[in-house]
Amino acid sequence: MDLTPSPDDHRFRQRARDWLGANAPRHRAPAGGAGARQAATAWLARCHAAGWSGLAWPRDWGGQGLSADRLLIWYEEYARTGAPSPLDCTFVGLHHAGPTLIALGSEAQKAFHLPRILQGQSIWCQGFSEPGAGSDLASLRTSGRVEGDILVVNGQKIWSSYAEDADYQELLIRTEPGSARHRGLSWVICDMRAPGITVRPIANMAGETHFAEVFYDDVRIPLSNVVGGLHNGWATAMTTLGFERKTAAMALQLDLSVRVERLIAEAGAAPGSALAETLADLRAEAAGLRAMTWRSVLREGGTPFDGSLVRLTFAELAQRVHRLAAELLGPESLLQGPVMTDYFESYSETIAGGTAEIQRNIIAERILGLPREGRA
Amino acid sequence: MNLDLSDEQSQILDAAEALLQAEYPLSRLRSGAAEDLTRLVEFGLFGLGLAGEDGSDLLTEALLHARLGRHLLTPSTLAAAVAARLAAQAGDDALASRIADGALPVSAGVATGGDLLLCDAPGATMAVWREGDTLRWGPCDSGAAAPPAGGGLPLTRTPRPAGAATAPSAPWQLLVAAQLLGTAEAALDLSVAYARTREQFGRPIGAFQAIKHHCADMALGVAMVSAQLDFAALALEAGQEDADFQIAALARLAPRIALRNARMAIQIHGGIGFSDEADAHLILKQAHRLGQLLLPADLMALDAPLTPLNRSS
Repeated sequence: MDLTPSPDDHRFRQRARDWLGANAPRHRAPAGGAGARQAATAWLARCHAAGWSGLAWPRDWGGQGLSADRLLIWYEEYARTGAPSPLDCTFVGLHHAGPTLIALGSEAQKAFHLPRILQGQSIWCQGFSEPGAGSDLASLRTSGRVEGDILVVNGQKIWSSYAEDADYQELLIRTEPGSARHRGLSWVICDMRAPGITVRPIANMAGETHFAEVFYDDVRIPLSNVVGGLHNGWATAMTTLGFERKTAAMALQLDLSVRVERLIAEAGAAPGSALAETLADLRAEAAGLRAMTWRSVLREGGTPFDGSLVRLTFAELAQRVHRLAAELLGPESLLQGPVMTDYFESYSETIAGGTAEIQRNIIAERILGLPREGRA
Repeated sequence: MNLDLSDEQSQILDAAEALLQAEYPLSRLRSGAAEDLTRLVEFGLFGLGLAGEDGSDLLTEALLHARLGRHLLTPSTLAAAVAARLAAQAGDDALASRIADGALPVSAGVATGGDLLLCDAPGATMAVWREGDTLRWGPCDSGAAAPPAGGGLPLTRTPRPAGAATAPSAPWQLLVAAQLLGTAEAALDLSVAYARTREQFGRPIGAFQAIKHHCADMALGVAMVSAQLDFAALALEAGQEDADFQIAALARLAPRIALRNARMAIQIHGGIGFSDEADAHLILKQAHRLGQLLLPADLMALDAPLTPLNRSS
């Protein structure tokens, strides 16, 4: 084990810090609507022009091919600068669909989509969850009927972030009639402008509308849009989620440490006060989360389920940090503002991407080896 | 940069684990006999800090102490490791060797009023102890056995020596926290093993989500303290700017997680967990003892490594 930065690491950190300090937008982007897409793609284009986009993507596909430790350094400086949240409308393309295509896509799929994702020309959304398939994703029912070289898709997806803005969707559907659970699924590229698609935005509890329901009524998708093999979609989807739990999660986890420091600076707690003790707990846990984040990407081995430990630690700590920030506002907390938006948004942390309860089941069953839950 | 164990570190840790399992089963704590550290002396545990600049590897030493903590070794192991290091740093190689060789037992303790409470059976003539927020070390009187709370692990009370030397706290904090991590792991292991075998309502209690989620919470705590231990040890070893911060964060996390896991282990064991017959209460008492040895760490007085950057221009 060695965490001593090399002189090159120091230079890289300084270069990242200088560029971000000079180029990151100073104002928070709108959370939804055309302004959100415009701000997100403009920021991505700016990063791309300076060679700071697709950091984890291989160089062959226009990325920077950075090693894991350089990614950690970049995202630390990114958070310290207060650069825009990576969870904007470019997120699914850069951190989900793009890496999935790089790993499992055809040459034609890669050649068409990857440059567009990297330059912010196409926005992607996710189409995994359904009204009846949330934590139990494998029970999904949206179907794709094979007709010659076409899939005819019918059904409904939900919680699809930025679906209104999106040009494409990573869509997980049941393509093998009569199949059950993890079998017979396919991961397909869905053109969001295709006839038969209806998007209905859903406002969340923060009053924002960045996610939506998507309805499919005889939507025709070419079979050549399947990624990772027909009826093999579960494996492709697990690949997708694996990316989510690495590079994308890294950025958010490191950002939380900086948020705790901002909160400490703003709170001005008297030494020894109850508030100072609470802040010290948050600070210690944020340090622990940072160490867990570094270890999750800089240590070989472990189980594929170890990500649940970091993910859940982050989710619950993030909620506590945002809750305290809201409490410290006092009566002002009744008014609209960025702190309250973040606080309300943070309720999704223990729900999205696997609820806290499901994560605890995974830790107990897959890591600790406790008996599996009885399933009907 | 990487966070993989080297082959050498893995071999040392595996060898230590094999030794601990063979020679220091938890059942030994019920015999009432004083802890015999001969096997650990032979292993070279207390000479690790003496190997010189190149060979002294705080991370390996910390990971070894986590293993000791898992087997609830006496805190004298901490005192000996740190005292040998201090003696060597003071240029007293003869003293360092006598400690490392086990010829001079050293006890760990905490000052209370005019006395020291030492975590061991009577006999030690040298100690390392916490006095408020200061670490001290030096000769002490052998003292007399004192009744431990709940009939727990042995304690000795002896008059507090006057004018004892102070010692730098960072290596002490690191190793005490490492042993606390070990107790947190011991609580998790014991709980998982029990939850897999104990049956109620026709199935192992580990099949119930309430038990599963307690165990998952224990694993979350272990994962955090373990990662922070690596970070703190590496920062201290390399003399990095953030070493004090990393140690202070570790010292805040480790006792909280150790105590929480021990409490949960008792709860998961149900009735037998409340009894003297299960080992869960031994883990709790060890966590309390180690917690008293840690110096209070003022984490808020230190600069964090990830501060927001001021973009004034």
